[in-house]
Amino acid sequence: MAKMIEEARIINQQRISGQIFRLRLHSPGIAGAARCGQFVMIRIREGTDPLLRRPFSFSRIYPEDGDFEILYRVIGRGTWLMSQLEPGSTSSLIGPLGNGFELPIDRTVPLAFIAGGMGIAPLLELIAEVISDRGAKGAEKLRLFYGARTASELLPEDFLTGPGIRVHFATDDGSSGYKGHITQMFEEFMAEGDFRPFELYSCGPLAMQYHMASWALSNDTLAQLSMESLMACGIGACLGCALPAATPDDPESERFVHVCEDGPIFSAGSIKWNKILVQQMPPPTWLFS
Amino acid sequence: MEQNPGPADASPDLAVQLGPLRLKNPVMSASGTFGYGEEYSEFIDLGRLGAIVVKGISLKPRAGNPPPRLVETSAGMINAIGLENVGSERFLAVKLPFLRDLGVPVIVNIFGNTIEEYGELSARLDGAPGIAALEINVSCPNVKKGGMVFGTDPAMTSRVVEAVRGATTLPVITKLTPNVTSISEIAKAAHGAGSDIISCINTVAAMSVDIFSRRPRLANVLGGLSGPAVKPIALRCVYEVTRAVECPVIGIGGITNSTDALEFLLIGAGAVQVGTANFINPAATVEIIEGIERFLKVEGIAGIKSYIGSLDTSCLFPFAEDLCTTIASEIS
Repeated sequence: MAKMIEEARIINQQRISGQIFRLRLHSPGIAGAARCGQFVMIRIREGTDPLLRRPFSFSRIYPEDGDFEILYRVIGRGTWLMSQLEPGSTSSLIGPLGNGFELPIDRTVPLAFIAGGMGIAPLLELIAEVISDRGAKGAEKLRLFYGARTASELLPEDFLTGPGIRVHFATDDGSSGYKGHITQMFEEFMAEGDFRPFELYSCGPLAMQYHMASWALSNDTLAQLSMESLMACGIGACLGCALPAATPDDPESERFVHVCEDGPIFSAGSIKWNKILVQQMPPPTWLFS
Repeated sequence: MEQNPGPADASPDLAVQLGPLRLKNPVMSASGTFGYGEEYSEFIDLGRLGAIVVKGISLKPRAGNPPPRLVETSAGMINAIGLENVGSERFLAVKLPFLRDLGVPVIVNIFGNTIEEYGELSARLDGAPGIAALEINVSCPNVKKGGMVFGTDPAMTSRVVEAVRGATTLPVITKLTPNVTSISEIAKAAHGAGSDIISCINTVAAMSVDIFSRRPRLANVLGGLSGPAVKPIALRCVYEVTRAVECPVIGIGGITNSTDALEFLLIGAGAVQVGTANFINPAATVEIIEGIERFLKVEGIAGIKSYIGSLDTSCLFPFAEDLCTTIASEIS
């Protein structure tokens, strides 16, 4: 699939809740080639500070309009500048990048989607595609488990409810839905035994992904995990976005996969989770960075 | 001074001669920022580049450092990739064949952890068709000397260059680190040991920390700064090196656009390498070539050769020669 540099026009910039924004961009080449789970590198503005592009996954793709959307939360200077982009202005993009989600061939199997915080973004497009593929009736076998630290970091419910999908909310502080981590809620729900996913799709903070991968491996469930990483190029040149790769044939050997080219979607068994340093968890940058 | 004849119709001549190496224009990719070329083939016509410098190669494959490997800083980035690469065998079998057919000189950046490794690797690459030159990365720790970086010591730099020189007939470029007291001394040592060309600079030793987690932002703690932030340092280094050695010098460091590239050429670099800019704009190299061509046309300069090294450092106060003389005597 061809990667391209494209000058995109900002169609719409909307503050959804708290610090969460949705940006719609007109970028016919990229929107036409994009698959769910893939991402774009956005040049927030010209100049040398911020220097690097920022990676964002597609939260919705509208190929017939030549548009796509991204969802982001303002966490630092780059995202703050992005929130200031006005409709009509342009931004340089590189995309579509990465491998994307694979949908199961059998359209009747139950699927679980697990989103932590802004990890909801790539799952929105995925869920929309699964539902349009299966029809509203097939959507009954889908479950979305969606958690955040607090209610204001969750998307409003009307953003999520495609026809038929059941959503289970969790917040760390109990301000909305289940009180506790999304992984706890997921495990308790699984223990009840009414719902058993054939495959799970997960995106969120590293600790959550680690947890979901471990659950999938110990419960013989397929999993596709959308991983994030700092990266300079997005096209396999800088090698900055490395994750320790599982090496089943030779557990002692050291090898890395790269989020941009080998991912961002990884199976649970492809990453050596226990070798990821705590440092890799994105530090809070706030507005000082 | 002659009247500027105005924009010439003919395209200016961009070709440069770097010792034994002839390039159709002075713009090449910098090692470690351009993969093995193929990564950029979807964005630009690689055939337009003056040369391609590939990701540093070692004798055996290397996994690289644990993540996080990079962090953004003001107008720059710090990396500690750890020289992850496919190794010489896979490079020759899988990566080189693609590059060979582009019609662009391919410069292979090489590194090792011992003098012997440098020599062995050079010998291995020497016979391979499609390699135009070797660029020695001397910014590696010498495992036999307690991890001291080869390129920070003139004697060790000489020994590395001699090992490579003795193992290959290809043109040899030595890429210097700026993390030294006197880059001129290292440049002299490299040239004296048989390096045909000097390139500089490699990244500037740097660090970044997070005040909330109280952790370094790189798993390796220390890394190398690159990008526009290092350009003034790089210009100073290139300026010093061009005045210390007789051989051609390739300017590297924060070149993002054609103005940056022309600054290096002006102070005497015979060619330039574009690094970090490739990450942000995959078409940076080609745009810089076009920008240099436009500049020469507008300025009515027939060829880049006459512009290279034309920096005027004579009296900075042309109407006050007395004052100049006074200042000059005070400085000296």
